[in-house]
Amino acid sequence: MTEIHLTLPARGPFDLLERVARGADLSGLDGLYAPSDPGGLDSLVVAAGALRATRYTLTAAAFSPRVSTPVYAAKFSASLQRFSGGRFGWHLAGAAPDVTAEFLTVAKGVWTAPDFSFEGRHFSVLKGGLGPVLAAGPFPRVYLSGTSPAELELSARHADVHVFDPADDIEALLPAGVTAALRVTAEELGDHLGRAGIYLVTSGEPLRDAYRIGESRVG
Amino acid sequence: MSADLYWRVHMEGDQSSLRSRAHVRGGFEPGGIAPGVRGGRPDGFTHLDYIGEVARTTEAAGFTGALLPSFPHTDDPWAAAASLARETSTYRFMIAFQPGFLHPVQAARMAASLQLATGGRVVFNIISGGGGPAQLWWGDKVDHDDRYARTSEFLDVLKGVWAGGFTHHGRFYQVEDESLPELLAGRPLPEIFFSGSSPAAIAAAGRHADYYLSWLEPFDALAEKFDQVRAHSETPPRFGVRVDVLARETEEEAWEEIRQGWANRPSPAGREGGDSIGVARSAAFLADAGDGFRAREVAPNVWGGFSELRDGPAFGLVGSYAQVAARLDELIALGADALILAGVPHLEEAQRVGAHVLPLLKGI
Repeated sequence: MTEIHLTLPARGPFDLLERVARGADLSGLDGLYAPSDPGGLDSLVVAAGALRATRYTLTAAAFSPRVSTPVYAAKFSASLQRFSGGRFGWHLAGAAPDVTAEFLTVAKGVWTAPDFSFEGRHFSVLKGGLGPVLAAGPFPRVYLSGTSPAELELSARHADVHVFDPADDIEALLPAGVTAALRVTAEELGDHLGRAGIYLVTSGEPLRDAYRIGESRVG
Repeated sequence: MSADLYWRVHMEGDQSSLRSRAHVRGGFEPGGIAPGVRGGRPDGFTHLDYIGEVARTTEAAGFTGALLPSFPHTDDPWAAAASLARETSTYRFMIAFQPGFLHPVQAARMAASLQLATGGRVVFNIISGGGGPAQLWWGDKVDHDDRYARTSEFLDVLKGVWAGGFTHHGRFYQVEDESLPELLAGRPLPEIFFSGSSPAAIAAAGRHADYYLSWLEPFDALAEKFDQVRAHSETPPRFGVRVDVLARETEEEAWEEIRQGWANRPSPAGREGGDSIGVARSAAFLADAGDGFRAREVAPNVWGGFSELRDGPAFGLVGSYAQVAARLDELIALGADALILAGVPHLEEAQRVGAHVLPLLKGI
């Protein structure tokens, strides 16, 4: 099934963010996407608010592995999974592939293993482990992006979803076992349907498009 | 004299009372509520739904806001505050975190975004870490005194970025001409409550704290600690005290509650070793206490057994509404500018304390 995810307006205001989130939820969209915008609101704060405002839609936040330790990111996210019924996802971008790889190794390690130790170049942990209660929810769905061999290799190992742009040759690049996501504008969406499993839709009128896209799928 | 009155909102789940340590609210143990089971299936409620009820109850009870504390195996204060930011109107969210969790630029971005979401109701509780295995659990290898040096540098960077155009080449952080974007800039910096009982903590607090926060200790020890902090501060510091309260209509009812909890308490489990000076100080105050729960009343109404009945520090106040209010007034007279009260269960006790203890306080 094709999933439609609507990009939240990164500059708010919060009232609009909440109405867009509720609109996407009401009209049956599959997800929301909190982008990383240096001029905008923090994506993790936006995502937490969007999850609280919704019942069904997934919400992914784009952030850099440089902003937090992987243990803390896992802990913060474990709470959001507990609070939201497991609807939170990560789009990790903005760090070199080796940093992102270590970040994911440690975050997944403390999520899944009871006594996880790891000594890396960038991150380490000794006898970590969130424990059965915090880690009961699913690990956040992992989105990665980039078209270099190192980035694609990283996705093959760690990603659930690889994010492409319309000009990319998805068929040639998509690692096996990974779902393709395509970043498109609301106007472009119709032209690209069929190319990817997930569409990350940006819109200048996100509230209107939340309902318009939702209704076009049921109509 | 006046004091800000905060409540503590649990991140570890909640007990029904001090008579049983089972965390039946919040999904940390099988069974219980939030999440619960209905018709054999999960009911869809979460710990956050209950935390939100506690926040709304304490706001209605007249509290300034709440401390959201941080521990390894509990829910996370940043996640809870960001989730609930829009659900209260005057309530301040005091977010506890360690500087090792987040890059200071990220902490500034998250805090400024939350200031925008809440209309400026974010407060920080900066903790530098209990140390030992728990620090390594977090993936943090910086040792005790260095953690305070890092905390100082973290707050230098956070405040610098908040002010804008900040460059810093330090031991822990490198930042080049960093600012918050226009959308986030110019909002009030969250007030900083600073925890830590060691000389390194007190030295760092002198530079950065708006409030120096201590657990409750016997009042003379607390007064001595306040004096040490004053001696390290260029400007007169403000003080906060974290106080558990168990208050009832009569003193006898209050102690009966403690007696039952004490009788039901589990045998002491092995404690995780750490380098927390606060824990060591509390243990020292109880070194001469004999057996039995009443032996831990080291001064009138000041009881050092709470850590046996729920997660958290040892000392709190036990007594009638009037007695507990009188002790809180003494703390305010001693120099406390903010009190962070707590009780179990967090929801009903907030309502009780708001209705019966706060109105008796003279100092607010």
